[in-house]
Amino acid sequence: MARKRGRGMAASWYGIARTATVDRAAAWAEIDDGGSAKVVTGVTEIGEGILTVLAQIAAQEMGVKPEHVVIGDNDTARAPEAAHAGATRQTYMIGSAVALASREAKKRLVEVMAAIWDVPADTIHTGNGEIWAENTNHRISMGEAVHRAKGKGVVPVGSATFGTDTTGIADGKGGDGSGRPWQAYVFGAQVAEVEVDTVTGEVQVLGVWAAHDVGRAVNPQGVEGQIEGGVVQALGQGLMEDYQLDKGRTTTPGFAKYILPTSLDVPRVNSIIVEEPDPIGPLGVKGIGEPAMVPTIPAIMNAIYDAVGVRITALPATPEKVLAAIREKEKREAQMQAAE
Amino acid sequence: MPDLQIKATINGRKVARSAKPHQRLLDFLRDDLNLTGNKEGCGAGECGTCSVFVDGVLMKSCLLPVAKAQGTAIETVEGLARGGELSVLQKAFHKAGASQCGYCIPGMVMAATAALRANPFADREEIKERLGGNICRCTGYQKIFDAVELARDVQNGRLPATALSEQEHAEGDFIGKNVRRIDAPSKVSGKLRYAGDMIMPGMLHVQVLRSPHAHARILSIDTSAAEAMDGVEGVITCTDVPGEDGFGVFVHDQPVMARGKVRYVGEAVAAVAAEDPVTARRAVAAIKVVYELLPAVFDAEEAMRSGAPVLHDYAPDNITKHIPIRVGDVEAGFAAADLVLEENYSTQAIEHAYLEPEAGLAYVDHDGVVTVVSPSQNITHHRHMLAKIIAKPISKVSFIMSPVGGGFGGKEDMIYQGMLALLAMKTDRPVRLVFTREESMASTAKRHPSRTTLRMGFTREGRILASHLTMICDGGAYGLSTEGVMRKAAILGAGPYAIPNVRVDTYGIYTNNTPSGAFRSFGALQTQFATESTLDMAAERLGLDPFVIRRINAFQDGGTTHTKQRLGKVSLTRVLDALEQGSGWEQGVPAVRGGARSDLGRSDVRPAVSLGARFAAHDKQEAAE
Repeated sequence: MARKRGRGMAASWYGIARTATVDRAAAWAEIDDGGSAKVVTGVTEIGEGILTVLAQIAAQEMGVKPEHVVIGDNDTARAPEAAHAGATRQTYMIGSAVALASREAKKRLVEVMAAIWDVPADTIHTGNGEIWAENTNHRISMGEAVHRAKGKGVVPVGSATFGTDTTGIADGKGGDGSGRPWQAYVFGAQVAEVEVDTVTGEVQVLGVWAAHDVGRAVNPQGVEGQIEGGVVQALGQGLMEDYQLDKGRTTTPGFAKYILPTSLDVPRVNSIIVEEPDPIGPLGVKGIGEPAMVPTIPAIMNAIYDAVGVRITALPATPEKVLAAIREKEKREAQMQAAE
Repeated sequence: MPDLQIKATINGRKVARSAKPHQRLLDFLRDDLNLTGNKEGCGAGECGTCSVFVDGVLMKSCLLPVAKAQGTAIETVEGLARGGELSVLQKAFHKAGASQCGYCIPGMVMAATAALRANPFADREEIKERLGGNICRCTGYQKIFDAVELARDVQNGRLPATALSEQEHAEGDFIGKNVRRIDAPSKVSGKLRYAGDMIMPGMLHVQVLRSPHAHARILSIDTSAAEAMDGVEGVITCTDVPGEDGFGVFVHDQPVMARGKVRYVGEAVAAVAAEDPVTARRAVAAIKVVYELLPAVFDAEEAMRSGAPVLHDYAPDNITKHIPIRVGDVEAGFAAADLVLEENYSTQAIEHAYLEPEAGLAYVDHDGVVTVVSPSQNITHHRHMLAKIIAKPISKVSFIMSPVGGGFGGKEDMIYQGMLALLAMKTDRPVRLVFTREESMASTAKRHPSRTTLRMGFTREGRILASHLTMICDGGAYGLSTEGVMRKAAILGAGPYAIPNVRVDTYGIYTNNTPSGAFRSFGALQTQFATESTLDMAAERLGLDPFVIRRINAFQDGGTTHTKQRLGKVSLTRVLDALEQGSGWEQGVPAVRGGARSDLGRSDVRPAVSLGARFAAHDKQEAAE
């Protein structure tokens, strides 16, 4: 058989939010006219779907629909600081800030309605664009409630900041690296199934199973999207991508020479979402952007070993490299046989 | 050459306009007709973001001279959602979550439209082949295939149109639900404007002069010929920086434009703002720089040796950052171990390859606020740094993050925004810079290439007694995120395992290579690759299943990390159990079991590809008929 299959696995861990400094993010929220909602925060979308995640959080916390949430963002002159879009921090940091700000805005509205309806505030609920009081006939639209609040001189706004209780690590001269760099840790593990062509050395990754603890999946489809994209980026580094330099000058200046995974290279990715809620943040969420990539490469390399008995320790595992390793192994085995 | 008079039908409308003979169809559509839905990702026909229909045929408009459009009927992504209603395929992309950053999506939607026009019954494997000319860097393609299959089934009546609608979520319970992405309609329709799609009245075009040398002293820069050219409104070099000239995520060691010397090929040396990009390019070519070549170093380990060329005066040993982690005594651990394995690992530099090359605009607003609009992943920090660079209070500096066409860490560095701000200030006009793919590849950060030596000691039962990991990373010419990458690599390097003796050292080193910086998974990818590979080698030697050896060592609730942090609840064992079950893993020792396994080829893997095999079979069948 020229083509051999195998499976491998690897585990991983990752810290959520930033390590260099104490992490923090702020947000403003307002239940707006017509029962829409407004959320303002510092940075956001880089493609991962954070706008939708924030809209879901704001909608649930304030009691409106996600499609009625307007997000004002990404402008240092007009939005509160939310630090940067990276480090697997946005759902955890900004999502938590938006949840807390939304709760405060809702509390303002609920207090006004409690006075108007003369019911205890804790019997009032909101959801899906409506506000109502338990065991009463009081039920009106959020738009109507905002109108009434404004008639009492109240704009239902809230603001919040969410920060971490973390430290740097002792990494100065003579330091032992001790410290509390992250507040939340996530764990992930993946299995890869590969087929190795022993004539060409080509490796195809046919399947990946990716199990990741995300705390709480705000949008499972979005979590899958992060896992699928992360696995494929890692596959690119594992098997084909290579930015090469000759005396500091790149010899891979464009996509004709710098090879990226295309639709024909990608495995079927099976996401297994594990939810172990974060005990500290208001939502239990953690993160997935970066962790999704970490176990993929060793899982693939372990699978190549399982298939053909060669261990690739220098990335990427190009067909040339895999083939050379297979030939080397065959030679070694032939020599051993001859010696016996 | 005289201008061309182009007559064509574009999205059903007759267009008659003059065009420059050097223009590509893509330029004509984007610059002259303001149809910016289709993007430029590579300019070389490799990525497919610019795909349009020309007389019904899917074409890459970056490869077509505008003259080829003469008399044709052209359809761009803007033509798909006629009257504002998304096509079935666009709705399916929305529903399936097929767009992330969205930059490749207009081209992907065009290619998918072509696929279903060619074969309305195409199966998943055929869809993959028909999308093979379009690169997506975010999604891993899976949800794109899902979207095309969904659209196919709705078009063929196998699924009702309601399969494309938002689900109802009872009682306002939205967390945990697959709410459709709120930004997807703007992405699948091509309406979302990235920085390179934005225009401002009176806008100038910026081009950058870049270093051809890896390490050289700058003896002189003569910009007089460039400044004298018609249409050139501003030329800047490091002498135009009024404040503290330095940026970086940790150490501010990089000047906006080279100051005194260049340290890598592609480093910015000067920049020009002119009325059009062609004039700006000509002006860049007219700048004369006299260099004195310096010895350069291209290997991290060589750079650590004494006598190696020094890149930055503040770091005479070329070490950007060293991070140590120390727990117990590794030598004692190895002495007590039944099995000690040592292996070397290396990983290569890789490019983020976001489909959106860097682009940005800057202007000075009516209140004198210097404003930069760019796909920056860190507007907060960029604002701080730019305020110091241009010597203005923070209240006079503003950053707006434009839609980011893929970042992955690569857009955390302020490598061009400083030049834009300085040119906007100098010319008092809006300015815009759009990188070519080649410029993006050569001048922006890469993932740190690494060399790791890992020694691990085990008991015969599989318990890890000691882990000693040393990683040397090539950080390239500037610090960027190297410090943070080394830190994360070190903290997480020994893996999620309770190990009594740990010694980790990670070193980020200056060389004259393209700088390395932030890249999704930030150092943890490199070190954990080593640890997870060695664990499997140990499992084979000790006769243990790979899951078992990891469970034996996994952190448990209340465990202590290698930085001596107490953990709360640890989900690792739960994750391993879920994975083992979900993948149907057959337990066994990882000793080249390969084809003897019973867990291969389940229904949740894809078929292996044999390129062209399906078409060959199809041809045979046709011949037989």
